Amino acid sequence: MLHVVRSELTRLGQLRTLLVWFGLMAVFAFMINAVMASVVGQAGAGGLPTPGVAFPTRQELEAPSGVMAGLSAASNMFGIVTLSLWAWFTAQDYSSGLIRLLVAAEPRRWRLLAGKGAALLLVTAVATTVAAAANLMAAPIVGASGISTAAWGTDAASVVAAAWAHLYLSQVVWGVLGLAIAVVSRSAVVAVAIGAGYVLLVESMLKMANGVPSDWLLGSTLNAIASGGTASVSFSAALALGAAYVIVGLMLAGIVLTRRDVTD
Amino acid sequence: MAVIATRSLTRRFGNITALDRLTVELPPGGVIGLVGPNGSGKSTLIRTLLGLIRPTSGEADVLGHPIAQPKRYASSVGTMIESPAFIGGLSARANLTSLAHLHGTPMARVDEVLGQVGLLGRDREPVRRFSLGMKQRLGIAVALLTDPDLLILDEPTNGLDPAGIVEIRELLRRLAHDGRTVVVSSHLLSELEAICTYLVIIRFGELVFAGPMTELLARTGAHIDFAPERPEDADPLADALRAAGWQVQSTDSGLRATGTGRAADVNRAATAAGITLARLGEAQDSLEELFLEMTGRTDGELAAGRATGRREAD
Repeated sequence: MLHVVRSELTRLGQLRTLLVWFGLMAVFAFMINAVMASVVGQAGAGGLPTPGVAFPTRQELEAPSGVMAGLSAASNMFGIVTLSLWAWFTAQDYSSGLIRLLVAAEPRRWRLLAGKGAALLLVTAVATTVAAAANLMAAPIVGASGISTAAWGTDAASVVAAAWAHLYLSQVVWGVLGLAIAVVSRSAVVAVAIGAGYVLLVESMLKMANGVPSDWLLGSTLNAIASGGTASVSFSAALALGAAYVIVGLMLAGIVLTRRDVTD
Repeated sequence: MAVIATRSLTRRFGNITALDRLTVELPPGGVIGLVGPNGSGKSTLIRTLLGLIRPTSGEADVLGHPIAQPKRYASSVGTMIESPAFIGGLSARANLTSLAHLHGTPMARVDEVLGQVGLLGRDREPVRRFSLGMKQRLGIAVALLTDPDLLILDEPTNGLDPAGIVEIRELLRRLAHDGRTVVVSSHLLSELEAICTYLVIIRFGELVFAGPMTELLARTGAHIDFAPERPEDADPLADALRAAGWQVQSTDSGLRATGTGRAADVNRAATAAGITLARLGEAQDSLEELFLEMTGRTDGELAAGRATGRREAD
Protein backbone atom coordinates (compact mmCIF):
# COMPACT_ATOMS: atom_id res chain seq x y z
CA MET A 1 0.00 0.00 0.00
CA LEU A 2 2.82 2.38 0.91
CA HIS A 3 4.40 1.89 -2.50
CA VAL A 4 1.20 3.10 -4.19
CA VAL A 5 1.17 6.23 -2.01
CA ARG A 6 4.82 6.94 -2.85
CA SER A 7 4.08 6.47 -6.52
CA GLU A 8 1.15 8.87 -6.35
CA LEU A 9 3.14 11.45 -4.37
CA THR A 10 5.85 11.41 -7.02
CA ARG A 11 3.29 12.20 -9.70
CA LEU A 12 1.61 14.80 -7.49
CA GLY A 13 4.91 16.63 -7.31
CA GLN A 14 4.19 18.59 -10.46
CA LEU A 15 5.42 21.97 -9.33
CA ARG A 16 3.24 24.07 -11.60
CA THR A 17 0.03 22.33 -10.57
CA LEU A 18 0.88 22.46 -6.90
CA LEU A 19 1.66 26.17 -7.20
CA VAL A 20 -1.76 26.70 -8.81
CA TRP A 21 -3.44 24.75 -6.03
CA PHE A 22 -1.65 26.45 -3.14
CA GLY A 23 -1.75 29.80 -4.90
CA LEU A 24 -5.51 29.68 -5.32
CA MET A 25 -5.97 28.75 -1.66
CA ALA A 26 -3.83 31.72 -0.62
CA VAL A 27 -5.53 34.11 -3.03
CA PHE A 28 -9.00 33.08 -1.82
CA ALA A 29 -7.87 33.52 1.79
CA PHE A 30 -6.69 37.07 1.07
CA MET A 31 -9.75 37.88 -1.03
CA ILE A 32 -12.28 36.65 1.51
CA ASN A 33 -10.68 38.69 4.29
CA ALA A 34 -10.68 41.81 2.16
CA VAL A 35 -14.29 41.32 1.07
CA MET A 36 -15.36 40.30 4.56
CA ALA A 37 -13.85 43.47 6.04
CA SER A 38 -15.83 45.52 3.58
CA VAL A 39 -19.14 43.64 3.70
CA VAL A 40 -19.35 42.88 7.43
CA GLY A 41 -17.78 46.20 8.40
CA GLN A 42 -20.50 48.08 6.53
CA ALA A 43 -23.54 45.79 6.74
CA GLY A 44 -22.68 44.46 10.15
CA ALA A 45 -24.52 41.21 9.62
CA GLY A 46 -23.83 37.86 7.99
CA GLY A 47 -26.01 35.65 5.92
CA LEU A 48 -25.82 37.72 2.76
CA PRO A 49 -27.01 35.61 -0.17
CA THR A 50 -23.66 35.25 -1.92
CA PRO A 51 -23.15 32.07 -3.97
CA GLY A 52 -20.52 29.85 -2.38
CA VAL A 53 -19.67 32.27 0.44
CA ALA A 54 -21.17 32.51 3.94
CA PHE A 55 -20.14 35.71 5.73
CA PRO A 56 -20.06 35.76 9.54
CA THR A 57 -21.90 38.33 11.63
CA ARG A 58 -19.96 41.22 13.14
CA GLN A 59 -20.35 39.58 16.54
CA GLU A 60 -18.85 36.32 15.23
CA LEU A 61 -16.02 38.20 13.59
CA GLU A 62 -15.15 40.04 16.79
CA ALA A 63 -15.06 36.80 18.81
CA PRO A 64 -11.71 35.03 19.51
CA SER A 65 -12.40 32.65 16.62
CA GLY A 66 -13.01 35.63 14.30
CA VAL A 67 -9.33 35.68 13.33
CA MET A 68 -9.91 32.50 11.34
CA ALA A 69 -13.43 33.36 10.12
CA GLY A 70 -12.17 33.81 6.60
CA LEU A 71 -11.52 30.08 6.30
CA SER A 72 -15.07 29.05 7.09
CA ALA A 73 -16.55 31.95 5.12
CA ALA A 74 -14.83 30.85 1.92
CA SER A 75 -14.80 27.14 2.66
CA ASN A 76 -16.92 26.32 -0.38
CA MET A 77 -14.61 28.35 -2.61
CA PHE A 78 -11.66 26.45 -1.19
CA GLY A 79 -13.77 23.33 -1.69
CA ILE A 80 -14.22 23.97 -5.39
CA VAL A 81 -10.45 24.41 -5.72
CA THR A 82 -9.86 21.16 -3.83
CA LEU A 83 -12.50 19.29 -5.83
CA SER A 84 -10.95 20.56 -9.05
CA LEU A 85 -7.42 19.51 -8.14
CA TRP A 86 -8.43 16.08 -6.85
CA ALA A 87 -10.44 15.62 -10.05
CA TRP A 88 -7.57 16.89 -12.19
CA PHE A 89 -5.01 14.56 -10.62
CA THR A 90 -7.43 11.63 -10.97
CA ALA A 91 -8.59 12.33 -14.51
CA GLN A 92 -5.00 12.87 -15.64
CA ASP A 93 -4.42 9.12 -15.28
CA TYR A 94 -7.10 8.58 -17.90
CA SER A 95 -6.25 11.45 -20.22
CA SER A 96 -2.57 10.44 -20.31
CA GLY A 97 -3.35 6.73 -20.70
CA LEU A 98 -1.32 6.08 -17.56
CA ILE A 99 -4.21 4.16 -16.05
CA ARG A 100 -3.26 1.22 -18.31
CA LEU A 101 0.22 1.00 -16.80
CA LEU A 102 -1.06 1.58 -13.28
CA VAL A 103 -3.62 -1.21 -13.46
CA ALA A 104 -1.19 -3.56 -15.19
CA ALA A 105 1.38 -2.90 -12.43
CA GLU A 106 -1.08 -3.05 -9.54
CA PRO A 107 -4.06 -5.20 -10.56
CA ARG A 108 -5.64 -4.77 -7.13
CA ARG A 109 -7.35 -1.63 -8.29
CA TRP A 110 -8.84 -0.65 -4.95
CA ARG A 111 -5.25 -0.23 -3.75
CA LEU A 112 -4.67 2.30 -6.52
CA LEU A 113 -7.72 4.21 -5.37
CA ALA A 114 -6.73 4.07 -1.70
CA GLY A 115 -3.16 5.09 -2.51
CA LYS A 116 -4.28 8.04 -4.60
CA GLY A 117 -6.71 9.09 -1.86
CA ALA A 118 -4.01 8.89 0.82
CA ALA A 119 -1.54 10.90 -1.26
CA LEU A 120 -4.15 13.56 -2.01
CA LEU A 121 -5.04 13.74 1.68
CA LEU A 122 -1.43 14.62 2.44
CA VAL A 123 -1.25 17.32 -0.23
CA THR A 124 -4.64 18.67 0.87
CA ALA A 125 -3.25 19.02 4.39
CA VAL A 126 -0.47 21.21 2.98
CA ALA A 127 -2.98 23.22 0.91
CA THR A 128 -5.13 23.75 4.01
CA THR A 129 -2.06 24.93 5.91
CA VAL A 130 -1.28 27.37 3.11
CA ALA A 131 -4.85 28.71 3.31
CA ALA A 132 -4.65 29.01 7.09
CA ALA A 133 -1.30 30.81 6.91
CA ALA A 134 -2.57 33.17 4.22
CA ASN A 135 -5.67 33.84 6.29
CA LEU A 136 -3.56 34.77 9.31
CA MET A 137 -1.51 37.12 7.17
CA ALA A 138 -4.65 38.70 5.71
CA ALA A 139 -6.59 38.96 8.96
CA PRO A 140 -5.24 42.46 9.81
CA ILE A 141 -7.26 43.73 6.81
CA VAL A 142 -10.41 43.01 8.86
CA GLY A 143 -9.00 44.82 11.87
CA ALA A 144 -8.30 47.88 9.75
CA SER A 145 -11.96 48.15 8.75
CA GLY A 146 -13.18 49.19 12.17
CA ILE A 147 -14.03 45.73 13.48
CA SER A 148 -12.71 45.08 16.96
CA THR A 149 -9.98 42.47 17.06
CA ALA A 150 -9.28 42.78 20.80
CA ALA A 151 -10.43 39.20 21.51
CA TRP A 152 -8.45 37.61 18.68
CA GLY A 153 -5.43 36.70 20.74
CA THR A 154 -7.41 34.65 23.24
CA ASP A 155 -6.54 30.98 23.04
CA ALA A 156 -5.06 31.60 19.60
CA ALA A 157 -3.36 28.22 19.18
CA SER A 158 -6.52 26.18 19.71
CA VAL A 159 -8.55 28.60 17.56
CA VAL A 160 -6.11 28.19 14.67
CA ALA A 161 -5.86 24.40 15.16
CA ALA A 162 -9.64 24.00 15.24
CA ALA A 163 -10.12 26.21 12.18
CA TRP A 164 -7.46 24.23 10.30
CA ALA A 165 -9.04 20.89 11.27
CA HIS A 166 -12.54 22.01 10.37
CA LEU A 167 -11.45 23.36 7.00
CA TYR A 168 -9.39 20.26 6.33
CA LEU A 169 -12.32 17.93 7.03
CA SER A 170 -14.57 19.89 4.70
CA GLN A 171 -11.89 19.87 2.00
CA VAL A 172 -11.55 16.11 2.28
CA VAL A 173 -15.24 15.69 1.50
CA TRP A 174 -14.94 18.07 -1.44
CA GLY A 175 -11.88 16.22 -2.67
CA VAL A 176 -13.44 12.78 -2.44
CA LEU A 177 -16.42 14.03 -4.42
CA GLY A 178 -14.04 15.36 -7.09
CA LEU A 179 -12.20 12.05 -7.18
CA ALA A 180 -15.43 10.07 -7.48
CA ILE A 181 -16.82 12.22 -10.30
CA ALA A 182 -13.48 12.06 -12.12
CA VAL A 183 -13.28 8.26 -11.86
CA VAL A 184 -16.80 7.95 -13.21
CA SER A 185 -16.52 10.59 -15.94
CA ARG A 186 -12.76 10.16 -16.56
CA SER A 187 -12.75 13.94 -17.10
CA ALA A 188 -11.54 16.73 -14.84
CA VAL A 189 -13.58 19.26 -16.80
CA VAL A 190 -16.82 17.37 -16.15
CA ALA A 191 -15.96 17.01 -12.46
CA VAL A 192 -15.20 20.72 -12.06
CA ALA A 193 -18.30 21.72 -14.02
CA ILE A 194 -20.49 19.55 -11.83
CA GLY A 195 -18.86 20.70 -8.56
CA ALA A 196 -18.69 24.42 -9.29
CA GLY A 197 -22.00 24.42 -11.15
CA TYR A 198 -23.74 22.78 -8.24
CA VAL A 199 -22.44 25.13 -5.55
CA LEU A 200 -22.62 28.36 -7.52
CA LEU A 201 -25.87 27.73 -9.40
CA VAL A 202 -27.95 24.79 -8.26
CA GLU A 203 -27.54 25.13 -4.52
CA SER A 204 -27.86 28.91 -4.62
CA MET A 205 -31.18 28.57 -6.45
CA LEU A 206 -32.39 25.82 -4.15
CA LYS A 207 -31.67 28.03 -1.14
CA MET A 208 -34.00 30.66 -2.54
CA ALA A 209 -36.80 28.15 -3.08
CA ASN A 210 -39.42 27.60 -0.37
CA GLY A 211 -39.67 24.20 1.30
CA VAL A 212 -36.12 23.10 0.48
CA PRO A 213 -34.13 22.05 3.59
CA SER A 214 -31.29 24.31 2.51
CA ASP A 215 -29.26 23.78 5.68
CA TRP A 216 -28.75 20.18 4.67
CA LEU A 217 -27.66 20.73 1.11
CA LEU A 218 -24.12 19.72 0.22
CA GLY A 219 -22.56 23.19 0.27
CA SER A 220 -24.28 24.17 3.50
CA THR A 221 -23.31 20.92 5.18
CA LEU A 222 -19.68 21.27 4.20
CA ASN A 223 -19.70 24.91 5.26
CA ALA A 224 -21.07 23.77 8.62
CA ILE A 225 -18.13 21.36 8.94
CA ALA A 226 -15.68 24.12 8.05
CA SER A 227 -17.33 26.44 10.59
CA GLY A 228 -17.31 23.84 13.36
CA GLY A 229 -21.11 23.79 13.23
CA THR A 230 -23.68 26.52 12.60
CA ALA A 231 -26.80 27.70 14.36
CA SER A 232 -28.96 25.35 12.31
CA VAL A 233 -26.61 22.37 11.80
CA SER A 234 -24.44 21.02 14.60
CA PHE A 235 -20.84 20.07 13.86
CA SER A 236 -21.47 16.40 14.65
CA ALA A 237 -24.52 16.24 12.39
CA ALA A 238 -22.63 17.95 9.56
CA LEU A 239 -19.68 15.65 10.09
CA ALA A 240 -21.91 12.58 9.96
CA LEU A 241 -23.47 13.74 6.71
CA GLY A 242 -20.03 14.61 5.32
CA ALA A 243 -18.82 11.14 6.24
CA ALA A 244 -21.80 9.69 4.41
CA TYR A 245 -20.84 11.70 1.30
CA VAL A 246 -17.28 10.36 1.58
CA ILE A 247 -18.46 6.76 1.94
CA VAL A 248 -20.86 7.04 -1.00
CA GLY A 249 -18.19 8.76 -3.11
CA LEU A 250 -15.51 6.19 -2.33
CA MET A 251 -17.90 3.29 -2.91
CA LEU A 252 -18.97 4.71 -6.24
CA ALA A 253 -15.37 5.32 -7.32
CA GLY A 254 -14.29 1.91 -6.06
CA ILE A 255 -17.05 0.02 -7.84
CA VAL A 256 -16.48 1.85 -11.12
CA LEU A 257 -12.69 1.51 -11.00
CA THR A 258 -12.66 -2.17 -10.11
CA ARG A 259 -15.42 -3.27 -12.47
CA ARG A 260 -14.96 -1.16 -15.55
CA ASP A 261 -12.69 -2.29 -18.35
CA VAL A 262 -9.59 -0.17 -18.93
CA THR A 263 -10.09 0.41 -22.61
CA ASP A 264 -8.45 3.79 -23.18
CA MET B 1 5.84 -24.26 -20.63
CA ALA B 2 4.10 -21.70 -22.83
CA VAL B 3 4.59 -18.09 -21.68
CA ILE B 4 1.09 -17.33 -22.85
CA ALA B 5 -1.70 -19.84 -23.44
CA THR B 6 -5.28 -19.03 -24.34
CA ARG B 7 -8.16 -21.49 -24.54
CA SER B 8 -11.29 -20.43 -26.43
CA LEU B 9 -10.69 -16.86 -25.28
CA THR B 10 -13.62 -14.70 -26.33
CA ARG B 11 -14.36 -11.05 -25.78
CA ARG B 12 -17.39 -9.28 -27.16
CA PHE B 13 -18.13 -5.54 -27.14
CA GLY B 14 -21.84 -5.39 -27.87
CA ASN B 15 -22.30 -6.88 -31.33
CA ILE B 16 -18.59 -6.87 -32.10
CA THR B 17 -16.61 -9.99 -31.33
CA ALA B 18 -13.07 -8.75 -30.75
CA LEU B 19 -11.70 -12.15 -29.72
CA ASP B 20 -13.41 -15.20 -31.09
CA ARG B 21 -12.62 -18.48 -29.29
CA LEU B 22 -8.92 -17.81 -29.63
CA THR B 23 -6.75 -20.75 -28.70
CA VAL B 24 -3.02 -20.28 -28.99
CA GLU B 25 0.20 -21.07 -27.13
CA LEU B 26 3.31 -18.90 -27.29
CA PRO B 27 6.64 -20.59 -26.59
CA PRO B 28 9.25 -19.02 -24.30
CA GLY B 29 12.22 -17.10 -25.67
CA GLY B 30 12.84 -14.94 -28.71
CA VAL B 31 10.75 -12.25 -30.31
CA ILE B 32 7.16 -13.29 -30.96
CA GLY B 33 5.18 -11.25 -33.45
CA LEU B 34 1.47 -10.74 -32.91
CA VAL B 35 0.26 -9.56 -36.27
CA GLY B 36 -3.10 -8.68 -37.72
CA PRO B 37 -4.81 -5.83 -39.53
CA ASN B 38 -6.24 -2.90 -37.60
CA GLY B 39 -9.24 -4.07 -35.59
CA SER B 40 -8.16 -7.71 -35.68
CA GLY B 41 -8.17 -8.02 -31.88
CA LYS B 42 -4.47 -7.64 -31.04
CA SER B 43 -4.93 -4.88 -28.49
CA THR B 44 -7.94 -6.60 -26.97
CA LEU B 45 -5.89 -9.77 -26.57
CA ILE B 46 -3.05 -7.86 -24.90
CA ARG B 47 -5.38 -5.98 -22.58
CA THR B 48 -7.14 -9.19 -21.64
CA LEU B 49 -3.83 -10.89 -20.86
CA LEU B 50 -2.82 -7.96 -18.65
CA GLY B 51 -6.08 -7.93 -16.70
CA LEU B 52 -7.22 -4.57 -18.06
CA ILE B 53 -10.37 -6.08 -19.55
CA ARG B 54 -12.16 -9.27 -18.67
CA PRO B 55 -12.93 -11.96 -21.20
CA THR B 56 -16.52 -12.77 -22.03
CA SER B 57 -15.63 -16.46 -21.91
CA GLY B 58 -12.65 -18.75 -22.18
CA GLU B 59 -9.43 -18.93 -20.21
CA ALA B 60 -5.84 -17.83 -20.50
CA ASP B 61 -2.59 -18.18 -18.58
CA VAL B 62 0.37 -15.85 -18.50
CA LEU B 63 3.64 -17.36 -17.24
CA GLY B 64 1.55 -20.23 -15.92
CA HIS B 65 -0.82 -18.07 -13.90
CA PRO B 66 -4.50 -17.61 -14.80
CA ILE B 67 -5.45 -14.15 -16.03
CA ALA B 68 -8.12 -14.00 -13.34
CA GLN B 69 -5.21 -13.42 -10.92
CA PRO B 70 -3.01 -10.87 -12.68
CA LYS B 71 -1.27 -9.88 -9.44
CA ARG B 72 0.61 -13.21 -9.59
CA TYR B 73 2.44 -12.25 -12.76
CA ALA B 74 2.21 -8.44 -12.82
CA SER B 75 5.81 -7.91 -11.75
CA SER B 76 7.12 -10.52 -14.21
CA VAL B 77 5.52 -8.89 -17.23
CA GLY B 78 6.65 -5.56 -18.69
CA THR B 79 4.17 -3.78 -20.90
CA MET B 80 3.73 -0.95 -23.29
CA ILE B 81 0.12 -0.74 -24.33
CA GLU B 82 -0.59 1.32 -27.46
CA SER B 83 1.07 4.71 -27.15
CA PRO B 84 3.47 5.34 -24.27
CA ALA B 85 1.65 6.97 -21.35
CA PHE B 86 3.35 9.59 -19.24
CA ILE B 87 2.72 12.79 -17.31
CA GLY B 88 4.06 15.36 -19.75
CA GLY B 89 4.94 17.91 -17.09
CA LEU B 90 7.17 15.47 -15.23
CA SER B 91 10.67 14.51 -16.27
CA ALA B 92 11.42 11.09 -17.71
CA ARG B 93 13.15 10.23 -14.46
CA ALA B 94 10.17 11.33 -12.32
CA ASN B 95 7.78 9.32 -14.50
CA LEU B 96 9.98 6.26 -14.14
CA THR B 97 10.46 6.85 -10.41
CA SER B 98 6.71 7.00 -9.91
CA LEU B 99 6.24 3.66 -11.65
CA ALA B 100 9.27 2.17 -9.89
CA HIS B 101 7.66 3.05 -6.56
CA LEU B 102 4.45 1.38 -7.71
CA HIS B 103 6.31 -1.82 -8.58
CA GLY B 104 8.44 -1.63 -5.44
CA THR B 105 11.53 -1.60 -7.66
CA PRO B 106 14.87 -0.27 -6.28
CA MET B 107 15.65 3.22 -7.56
CA ALA B 108 18.98 2.05 -8.99
CA ARG B 109 16.95 0.22 -11.62
CA VAL B 110 15.72 3.57 -12.97
CA ASP B 111 19.25 4.47 -14.03
CA GLU B 112 19.79 1.02 -15.50
CA VAL B 113 16.75 1.12 -17.76
CA LEU B 114 17.43 4.72 -18.77
CA GLY B 115 20.86 3.55 -19.85
CA GLN B 116 19.43 0.51 -21.65
CA VAL B 117 17.20 2.66 -23.84
CA GLY B 118 19.79 5.40 -24.29
CA LEU B 119 17.97 8.17 -22.43
CA LEU B 120 20.53 8.92 -19.72
CA GLY B 121 21.43 12.56 -20.14
CA ARG B 122 17.94 13.54 -21.26
CA ASP B 123 16.18 12.05 -18.25
CA ARG B 124 15.65 15.32 -16.40
CA GLU B 125 13.77 16.96 -19.26
CA PRO B 126 9.97 17.10 -19.17
CA VAL B 127 8.51 14.30 -21.24
CA ARG B 128 6.38 16.78 -23.15
CA ARG B 129 9.56 17.94 -24.91
CA PHE B 130 10.41 14.43 -26.07
CA SER B 131 10.10 13.31 -29.67
CA LEU B 132 7.84 10.34 -30.41
CA GLY B 133 10.86 8.07 -30.71
CA MET B 134 12.15 9.15 -27.29
CA LYS B 135 8.72 8.56 -25.79
CA GLN B 136 8.65 5.09 -27.31
CA ARG B 137 12.06 4.36 -25.83
CA LEU B 138 10.89 5.66 -22.46
CA GLY B 139 7.83 3.41 -22.80
CA ILE B 140 10.16 0.45 -23.26
CA ALA B 141 12.19 1.61 -20.25
CA VAL B 142 9.00 1.47 -18.18
CA ALA B 143 8.36 -2.04 -19.46
CA LEU B 144 11.87 -3.04 -18.39
CA LEU B 145 11.65 -1.58 -14.88
CA THR B 146 10.97 -4.86 -13.10
CA ASP B 147 13.50 -6.77 -15.23
CA PRO B 148 10.60 -8.92 -16.46
CA ASP B 149 10.72 -12.38 -18.00
CA LEU B 150 8.07 -11.41 -20.51
CA LEU B 151 7.71 -8.15 -22.42
CA ILE B 152 4.44 -7.36 -24.17
CA LEU B 153 4.73 -4.33 -26.42
CA ASP B 154 1.74 -3.10 -28.36
CA GLU B 155 2.83 -1.47 -31.64
CA PRO B 156 6.13 -0.13 -30.27
CA THR B 157 7.17 1.30 -33.64
CA ASN B 158 3.92 3.13 -34.25
CA GLY B 159 4.55 6.58 -35.68
CA LEU B 160 8.33 6.22 -35.81
CA ASP B 161 10.48 7.22 -38.77
CA PRO B 162 12.53 4.48 -40.49
CA ALA B 163 15.62 5.22 -38.37
CA GLY B 164 13.52 5.00 -35.21
CA ILE B 165 12.00 1.71 -36.36
CA VAL B 166 15.45 0.21 -36.95
CA GLU B 167 16.57 1.48 -33.54
CA ILE B 168 13.61 -0.12 -31.74
CA ARG B 169 14.09 -3.36 -33.68
CA GLU B 170 17.68 -3.56 -32.55
CA LEU B 171 16.64 -2.90 -28.98
CA LEU B 172 14.02 -5.67 -29.10
CA ARG B 173 16.52 -8.06 -30.61
CA ARG B 174 18.96 -7.27 -27.79
CA LEU B 175 16.29 -7.76 -25.14
CA ALA B 176 15.36 -11.16 -26.55
CA HIS B 177 19.02 -12.06 -26.77
CA ASP B 178 19.27 -11.42 -23.03
CA GLY B 179 16.88 -14.32 -22.46
CA ARG B 180 13.51 -12.60 -22.31
CA THR B 181 10.44 -13.42 -24.30
CA VAL B 182 9.37 -10.33 -26.22
CA VAL B 183 5.86 -10.26 -27.66
CA VAL B 184 5.44 -7.43 -30.15
CA SER B 185 2.23 -6.55 -31.91
CA SER B 186 1.99 -4.79 -35.24
CA HIS B 187 -0.44 -4.47 -38.09
CA LEU B 188 2.46 -4.75 -40.54
CA LEU B 189 4.24 -8.05 -40.94
CA SER B 190 7.08 -6.26 -42.71
CA GLU B 191 7.92 -4.48 -39.46
CA LEU B 192 8.39 -7.74 -37.62
CA GLU B 193 9.61 -10.31 -40.14
CA ALA B 194 13.22 -9.25 -39.67
CA ILE B 195 13.27 -9.90 -35.92
CA CYS B 196 10.57 -12.49 -35.14
CA THR B 197 11.31 -16.08 -34.37
CA TYR B 198 7.67 -17.01 -33.89
CA LEU B 199 4.56 -15.50 -35.37
CA VAL B 200 0.89 -15.34 -34.45
CA ILE B 201 -1.49 -13.93 -37.04
CA ILE B 202 -5.05 -13.10 -36.08
CA ARG B 203 -7.95 -11.73 -38.03
CA PHE B 204 -11.42 -10.86 -36.72
CA GLY B 205 -10.21 -12.13 -33.35
CA GLU B 206 -9.60 -15.60 -34.78
CA LEU B 207 -6.31 -17.40 -35.11
CA VAL B 208 -5.05 -17.52 -38.68
CA PHE B 209 -1.54 -18.80 -38.09
CA ALA B 210 0.72 -19.62 -35.17
CA GLY B 211 4.13 -21.11 -35.63
CA PRO B 212 7.82 -20.50 -36.16
CA MET B 213 8.72 -17.87 -38.70
CA THR B 214 10.45 -20.55 -40.76
CA GLU B 215 7.16 -22.41 -41.09
CA LEU B 216 5.49 -19.35 -42.54
CA LEU B 217 8.42 -18.74 -44.86
CA ALA B 218 8.08 -22.33 -46.11
CA ARG B 219 4.55 -21.52 -47.17
CA THR B 220 5.76 -18.88 -49.56
CA GLY B 221 6.21 -20.51 -52.97
CA ALA B 222 7.60 -19.55 -56.35
CA HIS B 223 5.39 -18.33 -59.15
CA ILE B 224 5.86 -17.50 -62.79
CA ASP B 225 4.78 -14.16 -64.18
CA PHE B 226 4.31 -13.93 -67.94
CA ALA B 227 2.37 -12.12 -70.64
CA PRO B 228 1.51 -13.10 -74.22
CA GLU B 229 2.58 -10.77 -76.99
CA ARG B 230 -1.03 -10.30 -78.07
CA PRO B 231 -3.47 -9.59 -75.19
CA GLU B 232 -6.21 -11.67 -76.86
CA ASP B 233 -4.04 -14.75 -76.42
CA ALA B 234 -4.24 -14.51 -72.63
CA ASP B 235 -7.38 -16.61 -72.22
CA PRO B 236 -6.38 -19.48 -74.58
CA LEU B 237 -2.92 -19.54 -72.96
CA ALA B 238 -4.42 -19.70 -69.46
CA ASP B 239 -6.73 -22.53 -70.57
CA ALA B 240 -3.83 -24.45 -72.07
CA LEU B 241 -1.78 -24.15 -68.88
CA ARG B 242 -4.71 -25.11 -66.66
CA ALA B 243 -5.19 -28.20 -68.82
CA ALA B 244 -1.53 -29.00 -68.11
CA GLY B 245 -2.13 -28.82 -64.34
CA TRP B 246 -1.08 -25.22 -63.60
CA GLN B 247 -3.01 -22.78 -61.45
CA VAL B 248 -3.35 -19.57 -63.45
CA GLN B 249 -4.66 -16.18 -62.45
CA SER B 250 -4.75 -12.77 -64.05
CA THR B 251 -2.61 -9.96 -62.69
CA ASP B 252 -2.38 -6.28 -63.51
CA SER B 253 0.47 -6.93 -65.95
CA GLY B 254 -0.49 -10.31 -67.42
CA LEU B 255 -0.80 -13.81 -65.98
CA ARG B 256 0.63 -15.64 -62.97
CA ALA B 257 1.07 -19.41 -62.89
CA THR B 258 1.84 -21.54 -59.87
CA GLY B 259 2.63 -25.20 -60.04
CA THR B 260 5.44 -27.68 -59.93
CA GLY B 261 7.04 -26.70 -63.24
CA ARG B 262 9.53 -24.01 -64.23
CA ALA B 263 9.37 -21.01 -66.54
CA ALA B 264 10.66 -23.15 -69.42
CA ASP B 265 7.59 -25.41 -69.10
CA VAL B 266 5.30 -22.37 -69.42
CA ASN B 267 7.28 -21.26 -72.47
CA ARG B 268 6.95 -24.72 -74.05
CA ALA B 269 3.18 -24.80 -73.40
CA ALA B 270 2.78 -21.36 -74.98
CA THR B 271 4.83 -22.38 -78.02
CA ALA B 272 2.79 -25.58 -78.39
CA ALA B 273 -0.37 -23.43 -78.42
CA GLY B 274 1.17 -21.17 -81.05
CA ILE B 275 1.43 -18.22 -78.68
CA THR B 276 4.45 -15.95 -78.41
CA LEU B 277 5.36 -14.63 -74.98
CA ALA B 278 6.37 -10.99 -74.54
CA ARG B 279 7.52 -11.47 -70.97
CA LEU B 280 8.40 -14.45 -68.78
CA GLY B 281 10.05 -14.72 -65.38
CA GLU B 282 10.15 -16.65 -62.11
CA ALA B 283 9.58 -14.87 -58.79
CA GLN B 284 9.30 -15.73 -55.12
CA ASP B 285 6.11 -14.87 -53.19
CA SER B 286 6.81 -12.25 -50.54
CA LEU B 287 5.85 -12.79 -46.94
CA GLU B 288 3.71 -9.67 -47.14
CA GLU B 289 1.79 -11.20 -50.07
CA LEU B 290 1.12 -14.30 -48.03
CA PHE B 291 0.08 -12.18 -45.05
CA LEU B 292 -2.36 -10.23 -47.18
CA GLU B 293 -3.76 -13.46 -48.58
CA MET B 294 -4.33 -14.63 -45.03
CA THR B 295 -5.76 -11.47 -43.56
CA GLY B 296 -7.35 -9.53 -46.42
CA ARG B 297 -5.87 -6.90 -48.67
CA THR B 298 -7.84 -3.77 -47.93
CA ASP B 299 -9.94 -2.27 -45.20
CA GLY B 300 -12.96 -2.71 -47.47
CA GLU B 301 -12.17 -6.37 -47.92
CA LEU B 302 -11.81 -6.72 -44.19
CA ALA B 303 -15.09 -4.98 -43.53
CA ALA B 304 -16.82 -7.19 -46.09
CA GLY B 305 -15.22 -10.27 -44.57
CA ARG B 306 -16.31 -9.25 -41.12
CA ALA B 307 -19.86 -8.59 -42.31
CA THR B 308 -19.93 -11.96 -44.07
CA GLY B 309 -18.58 -13.62 -40.96
CA ARG B 310 -21.28 -12.01 -38.91
CA ARG B 311 -24.02 -13.05 -41.31
CA GLU B 312 -22.68 -16.58 -41.23
CA ALA B 313 -22.57 -16.43 -37.46
CA ASP B 314 -26.19 -15.26 -37.44
